[in-house]
Amino acid sequence: MFKTIKEVLRTGNATVKYPFAPLERPKDARGKPEHDAVKCMACSACAVACPPNAIQTPLDFEANTKLWSINYGRCVFCGRCEEVCPTNAIILSPEFELAVMSKADLEEICVYSLQACVECGSYFAPTKQVDYVARILSQNLNDEEAEHALESVRLCPQCKQKADVLRFKEQSKKAGEWL
Amino acid sequence: MSDTANTNLKTGESHVKAVQERFPGAVLNTAWSAEDQVVIDVVPSKAPELIEHLYYERYGWLSVVVGNDERPLNGHYAVYYVLSMEGEDPSYCTVRVQVPADTCEFYSVTPKVPAVVWGEREVQDMFGLKALGITDNRNLVLPDDWPAGLYPLRKDSMDYRYRPEPVSDVENYEFLSETGDRETTVIPMGPLHITSDEPGHFRLFVEGEDIIDADYRMFYVHRGMEKCAESRMNYDTVPFLAERICGICGFAHSVAYVATIERAQGIEVPPRAQYIRSILLETERLHSHLLNLGLVCHFSGFDTGFHHMFRVREKSMDLAEMLTGARKTYGVNLIGGVRRDILAEQKLATLKFLDELRTEAGYLVEELLSTPNFIKRAKGVGILDKKIARDYSPVGPTVRGSGFARDARWCHPYDGYKHLNRSAFTQDTCDVLGRTLVRVDEFMDSLTMISELLENAPAGPILNESWTYEPHRYAVSATEAPRGEDLHWAMIGDNQKCYRWRAKASTYSNWPPLRYMFRGNTISDAAMIVGSIDPCYSCTERVAIVDIKSKTQQVLSRQQLEDYSRNRKHSPLEKRGTRYL
Repeated sequence: MFKTIKEVLRTGNATVKYPFAPLERPKDARGKPEHDAVKCMACSACAVACPPNAIQTPLDFEANTKLWSINYGRCVFCGRCEEVCPTNAIILSPEFELAVMSKADLEEICVYSLQACVECGSYFAPTKQVDYVARILSQNLNDEEAEHALESVRLCPQCKQKADVLRFKEQSKKAGEWL
Repeated sequence: MSDTANTNLKTGESHVKAVQERFPGAVLNTAWSAEDQVVIDVVPSKAPELIEHLYYERYGWLSVVVGNDERPLNGHYAVYYVLSMEGEDPSYCTVRVQVPADTCEFYSVTPKVPAVVWGEREVQDMFGLKALGITDNRNLVLPDDWPAGLYPLRKDSMDYRYRPEPVSDVENYEFLSETGDRETTVIPMGPLHITSDEPGHFRLFVEGEDIIDADYRMFYVHRGMEKCAESRMNYDTVPFLAERICGICGFAHSVAYVATIERAQGIEVPPRAQYIRSILLETERLHSHLLNLGLVCHFSGFDTGFHHMFRVREKSMDLAEMLTGARKTYGVNLIGGVRRDILAEQKLATLKFLDELRTEAGYLVEELLSTPNFIKRAKGVGILDKKIARDYSPVGPTVRGSGFARDARWCHPYDGYKHLNRSAFTQDTCDVLGRTLVRVDEFMDSLTMISELLENAPAGPILNESWTYEPHRYAVSATEAPRGEDLHWAMIGDNQKCYRWRAKASTYSNWPPLRYMFRGNTISDAAMIVGSIDPCYSCTERVAIVDIKSKTQQVLSRQQLEDYSRNRKHSPLEKRGTRYL
């Protein structure tokens, strides 16, 4: 009994002021994933890595857009999205107060336009992702393969295949070995 | 290990030789699924005697029973009895019994080795295989209103999202009691009850104040994790699901899962990652043991102690948050290593935390043990007899409180524990006090271990990403969670998913012997006894699909009424129940 009272006196007040004062969190704490819509190119790497499918990237064929959506109600704050993002467009902040009054507010959606094939006009990939690929390819100008890839970067997979076959035909003709 | 090297035998081979000699012709095939894990295919009719021999004659303990629907692979079902051999030649011995797909029958091992009873009941529920001669044939996992003939884990039975309509509104689960000729009163407790945070239904058969026998039923909040992992998750995202099996030992589950894949596929984990895993496993033990020490104060009516334990526990939560980025669900495990390193400044901060925890917890433990009321409530209460412990293979502080040095960290060393030279703490008193003291010792030792591991952790990479996998290989892996051994068994399929994942949480092994711990105590000790195994309902209930919802409430009150009319002399049971529990 005496020990207990002594311990109580020694401890003093252990209560913290939260929620009336902010709660201090360590600097690497994993909280709400913050999405940077400008850096993001809708490549879907995060959607593939996300264990609870909180991030989803469905295509809208009517509007020719790709949606990037996150549902904070599903998020488990594992940070796999941050890890796999090629453009650092998603970073886990220490923010942890995510309660909302309406369930719909837990969801955030960004809309990205799709690139139309310059040959046939069908939509095939997010414009920003195509731009990103083009930018990387243009940095390797001494590489012949990269140059060819850059020429066909705005072609849909079918047209790209066609272009490749034609190019191969040209090359073979030049070499004089017709198959 | 040294024995096997001298005689040029593989790890576990001595057990194979012994059963081959004892049961000629019973062993069909032997294979090593991992370095220290031998799988013995046996003639089904010989399995019960063979497992009995391994269990009792060669100091085996039951780890888990796994059912598997292997019809797409080889046309049969299979039941795996995983035994942890903890005497000579420590290893995992898995006895595999093939079950024909047309009869679906196999010979029950329960009459020979009582420890397998829950495992076999679960296999009956989930796969529809019949254990011939099983002594307890009741449902374990499936609710009373589940349609007959629908076996959730069969590959061709159902989608993981399917919720069948209830087929009955009567509770037909039979509670068992061995009360002899004595007239007893039945006190129902739960599924929703003020003393427990999670649902479980207990029936205490009492004579006056004394508990004569007890029976209980779990699995009220099934989450269907195994089915979900097999059908929806990819094998590399399962660690994050495994971490959510339990709110306390989540990290232990996630390590156990990734280690099954690593062992089965021979993936090497960098040494630094192994050290980090052990450090975090011990951090988890810190907060879990403080939680249980707090609860034991609470159950014995010493609520000041409870609050102080939780205040100090908060420090261990802060430590975890600083090291991993989250208070719980650390999320640092991937197959092949960990995602987050421990930096020099974090190491220093950790050492400071450890010092504070040691001093503060030291005060509190001294305070608890000098509280006469606590000693009176804990000493000689909830005896787990050594024979019962041996028969039912309980784990963690529960079995160590009864004098058995079972601890996965030292029986089958893994990760950073390979580099620590220690043995398990035990107490011989077999009671609540013994189990509490084991936790106190382990808590203090965890503090020392963390600083040793921090000191000795080698520098280097923390994640190995260059590996490939071969489908349909499997292995088991155990981690010593604060409450005992978490054991996972996983087989990857050829579609980026787990073909079968079986997660056994520590409390699953501790429920079956609980009945014997109740006997001979008074009603007021019941909560204390349940608390002393540090139960985790959610751990146990990770398997099936449906929850019973409001029906339970209705059925229970009818049952309560029935009980009252059967024992008319006594006051209404509901009142008794609330008064004492």
